[in-house]
Amino acid sequence: MEFPEALIPLFGILALFIGLPWMIFHYVTRWKTTKTITTQDEDLLDELYDLARRLDDRMSTIERIVQAENPNWRSLGRDPVEAALEDRSERIYEAADRTNRPSRRT
Amino acid sequence: MSAPRTKFYLDKQSAKWSGVCAGIADYTGMDVTLVRIAVVLLTFLSGPWTLPAYWITAWMAPRKPIELYQQDPDQKKFWQGVRRNPHAMARDVRSRFRELDRRLADVETYVTSSHSRLAQEIEQLR
Repeated sequence: MEFPEALIPLFGILALFIGLPWMIFHYVTRWKTTKTITTQDEDLLDELYDLARRLDDRMSTIERIVQAENPNWRSLGRDPVEAALEDRSERIYEAADRTNRPSRRT
Repeated sequence: MSAPRTKFYLDKQSAKWSGVCAGIADYTGMDVTLVRIAVVLLTFLSGPWTLPAYWITAWMAPRKPIELYQQDPDQKKFWQGVRRNPHAMARDVRSRFRELDRRLADVETYVTSSHSRLAQEIEQLR
């Protein structure tokens, strides 16, 4: 069956006047829904960003003060008792194993 | 505070002609020179439709409010990110707060533990 040649311009016109605007509006609406945030959200985001920056500055000041007071405060921050007393139970069990069963190893 | 930051503005301060290219660069965070070169290339390659587009944009778009010129580079970058992807920037702010929380926790642990150690030493001296 041969394709009727008279239909080609019709398809062209359809594509140009319906397909193209459809595509454009489709992308425009999608762009609008994804990209925009409301003015309130924008103000909120601005405030949060500003707050984060200010808190960052304050935190840096405090860290500098603590650093001047005690240069290795980060390691002292943890409980010294906990840091010094490591868990030796594993090693004790291993030693006990070795003393109890020397014959099996050899 | 009042001027919306997610709109397109003409950047008159770094404008060559009407500030459309500078505005695009400011909006997206691209380099101004690159935007200008791209527009000129587009004009030569695909016909002179960019000229009316330029004029219409220059005529329709508002000028950048004066307070937005006073943003520092960090802020500028942040708002360019918001225009690109608001959610990612919201997550970015959240991560900043988490980082702050962690640092504050470190300092808090140090201060409280040093207080308790001091109390212990005073007890031993008695």
